[in-house]
Amino acid sequence: MSFRKRNIGLSTGVDRASALNSTAQPQQAAAAPETNPGIRPSPDDGRPTTSTGSRSLDNLLAGHGGLPIGKTLLIEENGTTDFAGALLRYYAAEGVVQDQKVHVVGMPEQWGRSLPGLIGPADTADEKPAKRKGERMKIAWRYERLGEFGAGVAGSRAPVATTGDQASPAANGDQAQQPAFCHAFDLTKRLTHPSIANIHYIPLARTNEPLLISIHKRLQAAIAQSPPNTVHRIIIPSLLNPTLYSPEASQPETILPFLHSLKALMSAPSARVTAMITMPLSLFPRSSGLVRWVELLNDGVIELCPFPHSADALATSGAATAGEEPPQGVLKTHRLPVLHERGGGSDQNVGQDWAFTLSRRKFEIKPFSLPPAEGDKEAQEGAGPGGMPKKADLEF
Amino acid sequence: MPTQPPLPPLLAPYVSSLPHSSLTVLSSVLGATGNWLVLRFLYAALSSSSNSETAFGLNGSDGVKNRRVVLVSFLRGWEFWRSEAKRLGLDLARLTDKRQFAFIDGLSELFYNTTTATATPQQLFPGTAAPRTVLPVRSQPSPVPARTPHPVPRPGNVSTNPASREIGPVKRLHLSGNGTAALDALERDIATVIQQLKASTPGEAEEPEVLLIVDQPDLLLAATGPNKGIGATEMGDWVMGLQQNTHATILTLSSDSPLIHNASASAPHPATPLETEHAAFAIGSAHRAQMVMQLRNLETGAARDVSGVLRVSKGGAWGQNEVGTEGNWEEREVLYFVQRDGGVSVFGRGE
Repeated sequence: MSFRKRNIGLSTGVDRASALNSTAQPQQAAAAPETNPGIRPSPDDGRPTTSTGSRSLDNLLAGHGGLPIGKTLLIEENGTTDFAGALLRYYAAEGVVQDQKVHVVGMPEQWGRSLPGLIGPADTADEKPAKRKGERMKIAWRYERLGEFGAGVAGSRAPVATTGDQASPAANGDQAQQPAFCHAFDLTKRLTHPSIANIHYIPLARTNEPLLISIHKRLQAAIAQSPPNTVHRIIIPSLLNPTLYSPEASQPETILPFLHSLKALMSAPSARVTAMITMPLSLFPRSSGLVRWVELLNDGVIELCPFPHSADALATSGAATAGEEPPQGVLKTHRLPVLHERGGGSDQNVGQDWAFTLSRRKFEIKPFSLPPAEGDKEAQEGAGPGGMPKKADLEF
Repeated sequence: MPTQPPLPPLLAPYVSSLPHSSLTVLSSVLGATGNWLVLRFLYAALSSSSNSETAFGLNGSDGVKNRRVVLVSFLRGWEFWRSEAKRLGLDLARLTDKRQFAFIDGLSELFYNTTTATATPQQLFPGTAAPRTVLPVRSQPSPVPARTPHPVPRPGNVSTNPASREIGPVKRLHLSGNGTAALDALERDIATVIQQLKASTPGEAEEPEVLLIVDQPDLLLAATGPNKGIGATEMGDWVMGLQQNTHATILTLSSDSPLIHNASASAPHPATPLETEHAAFAIGSAHRAQMVMQLRNLETGAARDVSGVLRVSKGGAWGQNEVGTEGNWEEREVLYFVQRDGGVSVFGRGE
């Protein structure tokens, strides 16, 4: 008990120092959440965050509602699809719309011209919940007709949907008051925005310096030259992809110092940078030590596992009953910014199985649940009445 | 789950009394990082000394050891450690001022020389830079440069970071060159800071105990590799060299399965040099350690009220010293949970 008292005394005694500290900090804190619509304090601990351009990814990031400033997000993708590229485009488009400075490494200007077109600030999401409620009634009706077999599935699925919807109107309410934090984009349209010309492209041109060092220098110079309140987004598509990067770039002594220095660049308190990096896992499997180090040097690590095409039929049949788009793959969160830096745990999103769906208008991440196996008639019939006889068969 | 004190009782015996000249290895994986445990070590070492100071006005008068901590971090910057320690009630900026704590920054300038950076040092350390105006009296009466046994490296230290003259030993490491020469330079830098910390309170009979925490030195190994003449052996020597200056040393290492198991002969693919050297360094360190604390994810998948598993086991060097000095702790496996507010609860399975 007495320790507490003394601690209090101690802290008041040093109040002058801490008061000065606190005067120093509010200056910093005041500088952070100034009237920049692209930045809002995290509901979790108040640190400034910025949107990734897709709301469901924002919501996935450990309760911060966005990517915290100074953090990197690594998106790994299996196979030859480019879902991660779509996420990058949303991220870049959001940066353009929010007048942030976007740095794109290793992509031509063509890439910037193909950013998805702006639909508007969260207006699509506003009309969606109402529509979805109607749909859910239908879902419930359908499951009711299915009888007791589907009851368990319906019961487990419906609450998930409702909690998701309850959360999103609340978020919408917040956003309605403020200027939009996250926008909706349409992949089939092209973004036209005055500040799209401000995208800073860093080509992977050969210089007499090693490639990654020169990239770092250019990033650093660009960030240093910009006005102090500028928010930066660094986009590194398809890191280490051999069609873009030379083989020596994937040597640990080249790539790891680069990522380490990128981390250093971003963790400087005066800098306001976020970064998103994608990496093809088919070429650099997660089981290799190099990739593990790349992951360790990033603050957030997300893995996309798209379903192979053969699974489409099954997935569609499962989703057809739900009246929603079929999941296109599984998303795994290996590490989330801030949360895992502190030690992990205590997030409702950790440990969930996630499915993602990329549609024309959004990249949606939902809890993954296996659809009721409709085509599998024999198994269903066998499972119903034949529980006990089956066991006997087994004992035989 | 009831809230536990900053130092959970189950954890206390492991983090509070480290035997003399011991090495403790703390291994972590991608999804179960060890920063919270490093902070618990900091808390155990630093909070008790500040308590004793308020109680007696003196250090070490009641058998409480005069402890100092040097934290070398290769993966995280000062801001992170400062803000996270503040959640525990540990003001690292003030402790730096009181010369009980020193932070060595292995993140900012380790590989690329950032001379073009506009980030001024004053901005980089807001918490520590601020007291300059109010507390000149406190830092001046310790005549460090006069009494330091190594006055030579100090000008170099000052020139790299002008603010460090005022705010105490805050050093930024920079790796240049190849092989052992580069490592030696880092070792000298760290040793200089340790010596400064030791020498900062003249007039005390007892030399303060310095606890050195090296956060993820395996990054150095991974990012240099045999091509640059740094391998597991060199790293091991480097750590041993650092140990000579300190009372106790804590290493945090990554022990993700690709980094450890790929190097074994039964692995399906031939191991890359990175994997081989990392495994050799990590396992070699564990053999030289008194205590190994392993953090890992739950095998049964993530849970909402468990962050991971902590296993404390005896290292290869356990039992080499005479009995009794090594503390009374037993090998144990517990679960831990890091709460949103930064508090940690440690509990056994089923509790």
